[in-house]
Amino acid sequence: MRVLVVEDDPDVATDIADALRDAGFIVDAARDGEDAWFRGDVEDYDIVILDLGLPRLDGLSVLRRWRAAGREMPVLILSARGDWTEKVEGIETGADDYLAKPFKMGELIARVRGLVRRAAGHASPVLRVGRLALDTRRLSAALDDVPLRLSPLEFRLLDYLAHQAGRSVSAGELAEHLYGVSETGDTNAIEALVARLRRKLGPDVIETRRGFGYHLAGGEP
Amino acid sequence: MKIRSLHLRLLLSAGIAVFVALAVAWFAMTWLFERHLERRVAADLMRDAKPLLANLALAPDGKPLARNPPIDARFAVPVSGLYWQLSTAAGSERSRSLWDQTLPASHDAESGQWTQRVVIGPFGQRILLLERLVRLNRQGPPVLVQLAHEEATLHRARDEFGHDLMLFLGVLWAVLCAAAWAQVRLGLRPLGRVRRELLELQRNPAARLGADHPREIRPLSQAIDDLAEARERDLLRARRRAADLAHSLKTPLAALSAQSRAARRAGAAEAADGLDRAIATVSATIEAELARARAAAARRSQGSATASPLQVAERIVGVVERTEAGARLVFEVDIPAALKVPVDSDDLMELLGALIENAARFARRRVRIGAHQDADTVNLGVEDDGHGLDISVEQAVLRGGRLDEAGSGHDGLGLSIARDLTEATGGWITLDRSPLGGLLVSMCWSDEAGAI
Repeated sequence: MRVLVVEDDPDVATDIADALRDAGFIVDAARDGEDAWFRGDVEDYDIVILDLGLPRLDGLSVLRRWRAAGREMPVLILSARGDWTEKVEGIETGADDYLAKPFKMGELIARVRGLVRRAAGHASPVLRVGRLALDTRRLSAALDDVPLRLSPLEFRLLDYLAHQAGRSVSAGELAEHLYGVSETGDTNAIEALVARLRRKLGPDVIETRRGFGYHLAGGEP
Repeated sequence: MKIRSLHLRLLLSAGIAVFVALAVAWFAMTWLFERHLERRVAADLMRDAKPLLANLALAPDGKPLARNPPIDARFAVPVSGLYWQLSTAAGSERSRSLWDQTLPASHDAESGQWTQRVVIGPFGQRILLLERLVRLNRQGPPVLVQLAHEEATLHRARDEFGHDLMLFLGVLWAVLCAAAWAQVRLGLRPLGRVRRELLELQRNPAARLGADHPREIRPLSQAIDDLAEARERDLLRARRRAADLAHSLKTPLAALSAQSRAARRAGAAEAADGLDRAIATVSATIEAELARARAAAARRSQGSATASPLQVAERIVGVVERTEAGARLVFEVDIPAALKVPVDSDDLMELLGALIENAARFARRRVRIGAHQDADTVNLGVEDDGHGLDISVEQAVLRGGRLDEAGSGHDGLGLSIARDLTEATGGWITLDRSPLGGLLVSMCWSDEAGAI
């Protein structure tokens, strides 16, 4: 696993690099935004850890350039500011996760592993049902090729329904799949989740079949 | 005793000044009136003297003779207060009203012109005496012609006039006092406005008194505005410096964490533990300082900004859904698209961010973010289906203490940030049990808190 650590503070950069090496990663380091952008553009990394306050080119601009050039590796943002405006901007620019300084190294390693696992887990990343396309790598959906952002839970619900080949699935079964064990009241959470998905995807993508459950119609073209 | 009320002080001084002026006027007018009366009486006496003088004759024995006495009936009534008397060295003739009395002898009466004096006369009366020496012919003896009018009637008339005048001036004093009251009210009204504007300035440090004041008040309002401006600039600079300092400490803290881990690897676990504890304390202090700076900035921009909670909540949910805690949850956002809250959108982002992240940490399956507008308030709520609040936190809230001091770590800090921001924007925050089972945090802003 190759990881690019972009951090201008030498102590922090060395610490992260050491910890990642200990965790079995191959680590490259960049100290400024220009260098980071160049490396990320020409080499393939499994994940990038990107500080936002960088000399020469700020972290968000680097991320924007990568995404504009179609570089889709997972990016975990590190920032000293830690306010929500910056978090939201980072995620909306295309980051996959966010960690505020000072952080616990254990948490950083766990998040890096989680992102790598998520990105690498799907051999065939795109699944199509009707007008709906599920990108299993970026956990996103597209309806008529218009991208929609989904939460991991929403994605897992759609993914499960998509794999049922037209079968209707009850709320109880969905709860059991999503939460492991189904408890009283979990079907309410499933109803709320479906309502939220319908708001994002339109009313006809997930149909309710009375007495049977939910069915992914994908919105007939 | 010092009077503290400017209103009362001006009214009292106006009342006293008007009273003194009217009292002086009363004395002057009654004195003038008395003088006028005396002149009138003297003129009347001279008129009465004319027939006496015209028909004055001397008896063979040298006594004066009044062949045509004045016709006024009071000359015939004893002790009437109106008297005449003609005197020569040989004897005198006088009005009946003098009865057996005589008018006082004169030592300085002149011939050719009337002289006038006030003396004690017949019957012990104070009289106004008019007298003149007349010679009927060059060789003849001088005849002293005297006419008198008692003063008591003049004084009575003066007193009656003085009494009536006093009543009139009393009413005039009351009217002038009322006018002064109206004038003081009108004159001090701009100060009332300055007071209201200062209260607004206290509530919202970005407010200013403005230039729309009377010319006399303008230097004051300008000075206050300048002071507020300078104070706000200083505060802003200090806060910005504190926030910059807090931010700038984060990277060195991360570096210090690196050193702590290096120490731990080198076998100095105890030193590393100490470092970690110090780092945690400094981090918490920094977060609290940043939250305070944010609340202060929110207070400054209060009343001027609004934000759409739907948009902000959706964007935050987009981030929280990607965190480990958020990835397993359903986020229900139930906010009307047109609804606005009187908070700047960056502040609302911090406010909702802190609460939604908090809810996600404790929720089991669901987090609900709802908002609605009542007749005069707008309400925003974040709730979860978790275990609810610790008793210690609830007690801290009831005590009005800071939530982050309630000893429940991050849980309290998120609520504390939210409370600081809500209160800084003129709203209030309440904690309750959610129908979902967990904690319901409600924020309310009244319509007056800003344009909604």
